[in-house]
Formats: sequence, C-alpha cells, structure tokens
Amino acid sequence: MPLFEALSYSSDKNVVILDIGAVYTKCGLAGEIGPRCIIPSEVKNEKTEKIVKIWEFSSTEELYENLKNFLFHLFFRSLLVNAKDRRLVVCESILCPSQVRETLAKVLFIHFEVSSVMFGAGHLLSMLTLGTNTGLVIDLGYSETVVVPVYEGIPVIKALQAIPVAGKAVHRKIEDLLKETAKITEDGQDKPISEVPDCLTEELLEDIKEIREHSCEVLFEQDNEEVSVSTLILDAIVQCPIDMRKALSENIVIIGGTSMLAGFHHRLRAELYDLLKKPKYKDSLAIKEFRFHQMPAKQNYAAWLGGAMMGALETLPSKSVTRDLYIINGHLTDWCSISQEKQ
Amino acid sequence: MATFIDVNLVKYICGCGKKKPVCKLYLCRHCLKIRCGDCVLHEVDTPYCPNCLENMPAAEAKLKRNRCSNCFDCPNCGHTLTTRATSHAVSNPEDPNKSTPKKMFYMACGFCRWTTRDVGIADKPAASGNWEDKDNPHQKRILSLLETYQQIAQKEKAEKERKKYVRRRSYLTYAAGMDKYGMVSVAAKRKGLLASPSTGGSKDEDTVISPVEPSDTVTTFEPLQDEIFTQELHLENMAGMSQRHAPPEFQPCEMTDLHPLHKHLLIRRSLRCKQCEHNLSKPEFNPISIKFKIQLIAMSHIPEIRIFTSPELNFDKECKVILTVCNPTSYNTNINLTTLEGDTQDDFSNSKITLPKDTIVVSRRDDAALYDVGSQEQEAQKDDPSVIAFRKANKVGFYVKVKPQVKEGDIQVSFMMKHDYHNTAIALTSENQEPQVVWLEQKVFVNLGPLKTQK
Repeated sequence: MPLFEALSYSSDKNVVILDIGAVYTKCGLAGEIGPRCIIPSEVKNEKTEKIVKIWEFSSTEELYENLKNFLFHLFFRSLLVNAKDRRLVVCESILCPSQVRETLAKVLFIHFEVSSVMFGAGHLLSMLTLGTNTGLVIDLGYSETVVVPVYEGIPVIKALQAIPVAGKAVHRKIEDLLKETAKITEDGQDKPISEVPDCLTEELLEDIKEIREHSCEVLFEQDNEEVSVSTLILDAIVQCPIDMRKALSENIVIIGGTSMLAGFHHRLRAELYDLLKKPKYKDSLAIKEFRFHQMPAKQNYAAWLGGAMMGALETLPSKSVTRDLYIINGHLTDWCSISQEKQ
Repeated sequence: MATFIDVNLVKYICGCGKKKPVCKLYLCRHCLKIRCGDCVLHEVDTPYCPNCLENMPAAEAKLKRNRCSNCFDCPNCGHTLTTRATSHAVSNPEDPNKSTPKKMFYMACGFCRWTTRDVGIADKPAASGNWEDKDNPHQKRILSLLETYQQIAQKEKAEKERKKYVRRRSYLTYAAGMDKYGMVSVAAKRKGLLASPSTGGSKDEDTVISPVEPSDTVTTFEPLQDEIFTQELHLENMAGMSQRHAPPEFQPCEMTDLHPLHKHLLIRRSLRCKQCEHNLSKPEFNPISIKFKIQLIAMSHIPEIRIFTSPELNFDKECKVILTVCNPTSYNTNINLTTLEGDTQDDFSNSKITLPKDTIVVSRRDDAALYDVGSQEQEAQKDDPSVIAFRKANKVGFYVKVKPQVKEGDIQVSFMMKHDYHNTAIALTSENQEPQVVWLEQKVFVNLGPLKTQK
C-alpha cells in the first residue's frame, strides 16, 4: 500500500508555476498549455486598505507581508490548491534582486512549507517553448528590457544587455503627452489635464496605449548614451564571440507583455535593418539577415509556459532547492555564486 | 458588536508573537496556545461554484480547471450571465409554407447588457447550452514539445540511476572475479537475471529520441495596417486589460472576440494547527450551510477585554478607566491581572497601569439568563466597589488606573491576564470525568486613545 499511496500522492500534487512580473503575475499548473490566471501583482494592505504593488516596497518586512498575502490569494483564490508539500517553479529574471529572491524563498519555505522550489531564469525557460537551444532572447517587460543571448542552452552572461525602458516608459510618455496637450472638460470648462493630476491612473494609461503609437517611440528613441531597445539587440550580438553571431541573429526570440503592442515586431525589424547601415555597426557586424521566432503562446506568458514544461518533467526534483536544504543553508544559492555549497 | 467595530484597540498576543484582535484568533485546545491566521495551516476543503452553489469533487474540479461547467461570467463586466429564451421560427420540413416556433437560448448579462449575440455566437436549442469552448491553436505544438522533453528527462534520470548501479556492480564483478568456490556460474546466472530488465531498459534508452522540429523562424512581419493611422479609434470596441487577461490563453484585443467565461470556483478552507495538526476550523461539507463542524475561535474560549468608556486622560495624572471582561465559556472563570513589567517583549506600553490585585470572578455565559431579566443570577459575590464597577450576566466592569507618561500620541498599556480554562476537549474521552482545568496566560495590549485635549 505505501508504494501505491506514494504514487497517487505525487500525481495528486500538481506543480505550481509562478511568474511574478512587475505588474502582472502569471500563475498556473505544470503541463498545462496556458496559465490559470494573469492577475495584477498587487495586494491590499490590511491596515491602510490601500492597494500596494508587490515590487514597490520600502523594507524587507513589508515585502514579506505583501508576498505572504499575495501568495495566499494565489493559492486559495486563483489556483485552489494546498501550498504545503507542493513543488513550485518560479520564473524569475536573471537580474532579480537577491532581496526579493530571498524573501520569496522565505515565504514559500517557512510560511507555506512548500517542499521544493526551482528558480528558473525566464529567458532560458522561454527557449523551451521553441524546441531550440540557441536564441537571442529579448524580454520587454514593464520596468526594463533585458536581452540575453542563449547559445546551446547556455546564457552568454557577458553579453547581457539591459535598459530601464519598457512598458513603464511608454506609460510615462503617454502621461507626459496628455499633460502637455490634453484638455479635460469639467463643469463645461476646458482645462488642461495637468491641473487634475490624479485622474491619470496606471490602468487608464494601459488601456489607451494601444493606439498611441506615437508614445511608443520612446522604445526606439536613443538616449544620451545612444541606447534603445533595438541597439540593445545589436550590442548583445556584438558582445558575443564571432561564431555565435550568425546563429543568434537568426534566432531572435521576443517575449514580455510590452512586445504585444500591435506592429511592434514589424517596427523592431525595420529598426534593426536601419541600424545595421549605421557606421557604428556596419564595421563590426557582418549580419545580413535577422530571423525571428514565433511563440506557441502569447508573449506575456512565454516564460511561464517554459516553466510549465519544466515543471512537468521527471527531472524537476533534481533541479530544485528542497525545503530541507533551504533550512540547512538558511538562504538560497544565487546563480552567480561559486561557493561550494551542496546543491 | 464592539468586538467587530474597533477591533484594533484591544489586542492579544498570538503564539507566534503577533498582536491581533481576539476576533481574529483561534485557540488550539490541544496545545492550549493562541493561534492566528499566519501560524495555522490553511487547507483546501471543498471546491464549489459560487453561483449554483454546487459541490464539485476535487478530482472533477481539477479536470475542469476549477471552473463550473454550467455557470458563465460576462467577459465584458464579470457579472454572472443569465440564460434567456426566445422563440425562433423554424420552417417545417414537411410543409415549407408553415413555420413552427422553436425555443432558442442565448446568454445575456443583466448588468452591462452584453449578450452572446453581440459577438456572433449562435443561439442554442438547449437551455444548458453546450456552449463550446475555444481551443488553443498552439495546443498540438506545445504537447509535442512537452512529450519530447519528457523523453529527454526520462533518459537523463535513467542515466543518473545507471551510474549509481554501475558503481555497485563493479564491486560485484570484483567478487565474482575471485572465483574460489565456483560462484561464477551462480553469480552470472543471477547477474543475467538481474541484468535482463536493465538491458531491456538500456535498449529503450538507446532509441533515438525523435528530435522535435525547432520552431519556424520568420524574417518579416505584417506591418500595421493603414487604418490604424487613418481611422478614428473606437475605444468602446477595444478590450481593456482585465478583459484581455481573463482568458489568459486567448487575450482578445477587441470586444468582438470576447467569449463567455466559465465561472471560477471558490473553496471552503479548513484550518489546522501547525504544531499538533489538530483541526481548528472545519466547515460543513454543504456549501449552502454556514455552520462549522469544528470551530475553535478564541472568542468563544478566552475572556474578552474591552474598553467600556472612552476615558478622559490627562498627562501624568492617575485616571480611572473602566474595562470590561466578558466570559464566553459555560464555566465561572477566575481572572488575575498582573503587569508585564520587566517583560522584554513589551515595547508597546508607554504608560503606567495599576491593576486590581484580587481575583475577579466572572460568571458563566448563560444564554437563557440573557433573556430572563428578572432573576438576577448574581451568585452573591462580595465585590469591592472600588474595583468592580458593575456586573451584568457574564460581564464584569472593573477599574484600572492609568497614568499617562507621554504627551503626544495614543496612550497604550499592556498587562497579563491569567484565567482558568475548562478544557472540554480531553474530558470527552471519558464521560464522567470533570473537565481538566488549566490556567492560561494572555498578554493583552490596549490602546486607550489620545490624551484629553486641553482647552
């Protein structure tokens, strides 16, 4: 009987896949083809009754409380699963602050008592959805754009590129444009919108962004250091060894919610070819052609889908951090750590 | 009701060190410790649909991805959709000139007036609908990828296990090598027996895993259509972010792509003490019932302290404050109050408090006496009027003296309440036994509010 019980036990416990983004959190169960839900990464503070974003925290304690309440909501309202003794896959950014990682691990292992967590890099996981292991992964999220070349399954860290220009920058631009030009009619009087500062909420900005392609220029405008989303891609290729470059430029993978803007891919392609003609890249790059991958998913949950595939595999336990190990070590081992701790 | 209105004025300390109002605490009858929502284990009990209130077994809920198959939500506003019937003229197949009315059904939202007809979903002949769901166009591709990865993972796992096995076998071959007692043949036989399944296994491993086709790459993308630049945009035709994210797999951009959503289930939760694993709260199976099978909330076991009047507080003057203590149990309870002086945990109190020295006896809760005004069941207690302000049923008001020590902010005091508790949980096992009496200690933190403003 014990063997039978163990079998049913393991199949009964679906692995939970979690991708906590800057504005939206994708969560669901392993082996499924789409997330169960995409919900805003925010919680209501019990004391002040205000809605606070998970990533906007002033102290670790605050983050701990917020994550605890948020995960509680995820487990018991969205996924309807027990958290105890469950395996988890967390899709995270390579640039995720250790404070967040550590706090998340503490909440999961100590408060929710999950049995193991695999922390996977979103860039690498999204490659799983394509069936290849070489690609230049561009993640356009909310707060930042990160480009990571992946060659034969290994991320080329030295060529990693990031700028804090993504969805948030687009929102700010719309806000600025509206403040500059828009008028609001109140009691029959027209007045500039800049006099009514609180009416532009984040939700409103999201909803109207679709058409304001003008404001999305901010993604392609080069700043003082001549960096934009498109130069980021070329810079990443330049940083890579010469024999990787062709393979990378022919396997461009674009993920992240901001890249779902209508016409974004077309524009990016045009920008890339245009930049190739510029002297800066003309001399250093001999690339003739860019080829782009198309995901079997919406871009905003591509990393999640990769995690869902990873979570459905038998090798998951060997790739995750167990609760026992976490309790012995007292902290997580970072991917960049070279200390000889037992994995 | 005061218990639920100003809940944050009087707080008790929980077993995990957090201060919480008594209505948010539990008492574990087995470890006799206070527990709060953070230090109990929450468990999923039964899923149910919040609309049709139908219980769904956990296995079925999992199969249906936690959604009710009969109830739908409006994709536009999130309200529950209702089924409407219309009659529809259908031409009679026998006589083309005659038409017979036929009942057809569609779904409409009573809140925002969205209907399934708006998005071109055809009416259904049955009330239950059999509304078909959309299929994810990528399903096949994802599943084939997943299958390949699973094969690779299996191979990886098998290789790892084989490594372990090989190490052990090398020892075995060494033993077989020292063939003194004619063990070789026996060992070989055994090895053969042992090896046969594993060689079969290795054959499987050697089978080439059919590599999955890498996804196609494209060089060009469709440019934006000119209409986007030339034609005016109708915001009412575009879906908002929450409307898009409601079906994560499809994320419709336009209102015409919206599709009714299956209603998401809710669950009843049961709570369990993390230390002794006994249930603290367990709801009844039926989702319509609001009763509990087990409910060990602190409010029905621990005497509750409340502030009786909003006191007048003056700086550095001894002020009398009336607190009440209410006994929720069906036994008379003795209460001793002591200060928390010298307690390192106490960073809350900022004023001096003088507490009654004697034991206060609070009579038991008697539901019948509450309605029976005439017969005062005062068990002739000799109360010191300087300590006890009043008595009423299972409630006692008593004086404490507070000497505010801060000029600004709220005056906060803390004390220890020691009370006896008749533990009925253990007594149940042997009928005639008296319930076990234990003394429990609760740390209580009271926020009395600001000083009286000088006029």
